[in-house]
Amino acid sequence: MPRYLQGLRALGGLTLMFASPVVTAQSTPSTAKPALRGESCSVQGLMDQLRQGLGSSSKAYRDYLQAVLREAAVSLPSGELHAAFDRETDPAMVEQLAAALVARSEREAEKDAIQAVARRALEDRDPSVRAATVRAMRRTGALEKTGDMYERLMRDGSPEVRMEAAKNLVEDNAHVYSGYHGPATDTAVNAAAVSTDPKVTATILESLDTRRMGPEAGQKLLGMLGHESADVRRSAALALGSAPAAQMGPAREALVGMYRGERDVGVRKALVQSIAELGFADAVPELRKLRSMDPAMAPEIDAWIRALESGVQEWGLLLREKQRLQQVR
Amino acid sequence: MRHMKKKVFAAVLALAVPSVAAAYSYTVKSPFPGTVTATTYYSSGSFHGALDISSGRCNYWGVETGVMASLSWNVTIRTSGVYCNGTGSGTQNEAKHAFANGRTFRLWHFIKTSDSYDRTCNRCQVGNEGGTGNATGPHVHVQYDQSGSNLTGWYSGYTTKGEAVDRSETIGVIE
Repeated sequence: MPRYLQGLRALGGLTLMFASPVVTAQSTPSTAKPALRGESCSVQGLMDQLRQGLGSSSKAYRDYLQAVLREAAVSLPSGELHAAFDRETDPAMVEQLAAALVARSEREAEKDAIQAVARRALEDRDPSVRAATVRAMRRTGALEKTGDMYERLMRDGSPEVRMEAAKNLVEDNAHVYSGYHGPATDTAVNAAAVSTDPKVTATILESLDTRRMGPEAGQKLLGMLGHESADVRRSAALALGSAPAAQMGPAREALVGMYRGERDVGVRKALVQSIAELGFADAVPELRKLRSMDPAMAPEIDAWIRALESGVQEWGLLLREKQRLQQVR
Repeated sequence: MRHMKKKVFAAVLALAVPSVAAAYSYTVKSPFPGTVTATTYYSSGSFHGALDISSGRCNYWGVETGVMASLSWNVTIRTSGVYCNGTGSGTQNEAKHAFANGRTFRLWHFIKTSDSYDRTCNRCQVGNEGGTGNATGPHVHVQYDQSGSNLTGWYSGYTTKGEAVDRSETIGVIE
């Protein structure tokens, strides 16, 4: 690192030290130099600092403390960290300690550490603690390492826990796996399929990239097109839009067939979007046929046809082009 | 001036939130202790568009993925055995993560070890520093690309040729 950057880092470190409530409380009169005091990096010390810091009005300072604990987790004594996690009952602190254990697992310092977090997410009596431990596993490889945890979380009695689990599945698929890991997609679809909470199911499915979805999960998605909740039907239809090549034919047939009997406008819009996504320019003849069935949907379908006929070859750009065409008067 | 601003921003980021990146950006640390031996252009003037980092020692340091986040890594082994000075173009061992935005982060040239397998992890080891593929000595080639073009902005302003780096050193930010 260049020397002047080291200087900046040192300066910033001092700034943060002075921003810390712990340090300011012990500051000496301005005439005397502050005495340097050695401090060991212990679980208890970090927890005390974190407990105090979580009450700070500065988000940057709170984030900093959380980051310190997660980065330090790799070198902290495992036994002490597990014991602190088992003892803690404050959801905010449980979340941080759980995140530290997950970090140990993800950094491969202690691969099984995540199992203790998963156990608590499933078994703790306090729903706020269960929700906090679920949050701690967000944007990690938890869905590969915790068996059927997500399916079991879908049956949790607390709506908060179920929704946190759904958000994990969404964010993990989008940011950890980027839609390229079939088993991760299948885990999300399986969890959505066993969920009895339509909001949770819809949250999981509506932005799920299914390009690597397995055939069994594909069948489950097709089955969800017949769900009584319009939210679930809409999100299942959207998820089918990115189905892998081998499943495109059945998906397209199911979506077109469903359009004829569907009465909900939101679901119909989702069906049209996914038919467009599955076929690109080849979907235009099918969309023209569907256009005559419901005059109210004509402007929507016209926008799709014009966007598809523009020749744009990337789905993200097509979505933007369709949006632009609808806005232009 | 622009580079200065970037460096100051990087320094502030490193101070305040070392591992809390913005929603879609990730800090990249050096995969092992060494020296940055090449950046955008080789000494010959030809385009490189990536970072080469070398400790000068073969099969000595473990190569970590470097990106500060849990990501699913795809490890491709094209050459088994300990090679330090090259095995021919296209035969390099590779660890890569494809992001949803169409960009791919890659590490090349490491020696296959028992750690060289696909998995989801945060800065895990995928092999040892070596010279598999098109290499004249042990190093790791760290590349971020999109549609066949190497991106250079992710490390510009964070590191320079000749800088000594260790695993706590930020060598770039990818988004």
